[in-house]
Amino acid sequence: MAYGLRMATELVGGVLVGAGIGFGLDRWLGTSPWLLITFLMLGFGAGVQNVLRATKKMDSERDRAPPGASGT
Amino acid sequence: MAIDPMHQFRIERLVPLDIGGIDASFTNSALFMVAAVALISVFMIFTVSTRAMVPGRWQSMAEISYEFIAKMVRDAAGEGGMKYFPIVFSIFMFILFVNLLGLLPYSFTVTSHIIVTAALALSVFFGVTLIGFAKHGLGFFKLFVPDGVPVALLPIVVLIEIISYFSRPVSHSIRLFANMLAGHITLKVFAGFIIGLSSLGAIGWAGAVLPLIMVVALTALELLVAFLQAYVFTVLTCMYLNDALHPGH
Repeated sequence: MAYGLRMATELVGGVLVGAGIGFGLDRWLGTSPWLLITFLMLGFGAGVQNVLRATKKMDSERDRAPPGASGT
Repeated sequence: MAIDPMHQFRIERLVPLDIGGIDASFTNSALFMVAAVALISVFMIFTVSTRAMVPGRWQSMAEISYEFIAKMVRDAAGEGGMKYFPIVFSIFMFILFVNLLGLLPYSFTVTSHIIVTAALALSVFFGVTLIGFAKHGLGFFKLFVPDGVPVALLPIVVLIEIISYFSRPVSHSIRLFANMLAGHITLKVFAGFIIGLSSLGAIGWAGAVLPLIMVVALTALELLVAFLQAYVFTVLTCMYLNDALHPGH
């Protein structure tokens, strides 16, 4: 459960922040809805990036840990 | 049958206090934070006051918690990270004690409120960013430029990296908050089943054994989650610290 929720929050965090930045810039520059769409995509990319990075980290931690010791 | 699983998260003002229009009342949430800090202080001060060469049980506990965090900081952030060991240790102990206190009956779980976890995550985020800029100046921006990326893709990658950086406090805080909130709601819902079933009479009493077993098992699981989430929060703090100290990946 800890693994799953971690991945979910990593992905959602990226999308949320991307959408937030896009929405804020749209409000500020009056370009609605184009920046929201662009940053939503970028946020999704960032979320996937987060998940990939976290997975890589977990894998390397598991490989390094002595047998019998459980990781995160 | 009025069992409200959300009632446990209600904030109550114990000592109303208003400073310049800002509601700074001493609430039950604040009470449990103070209790956690007091318990940690008592635990750490009294257990190491004996200073025995061969540690007793309590002193061992204090030493184990020190070594546990010290190893975590060294592994994740390198020897240079030990400079920031006090804050990392404080964060770990605070979250751990607050989580464990929240498991006691009738108590309040401070970390089940996103404002608390967000405050913790944001202070880590700003602290780490400041450390990064203080140590590396503008070189800290290297963090946003990964090696070996074609120039054509660079603008997009840098944007994604920046969003990824800003998404850290979001996932950092939501993880702790969601775990504690979900766990405590599940506990209360299953406990509610026991009362609901037992009102049915003899058959209900027999049936209520099942949710009771669930509650016992869930309490054990929550104990694990309380520790695990404190650990995960601290590990991530160390990883962010590592990025700030060595931005070149």
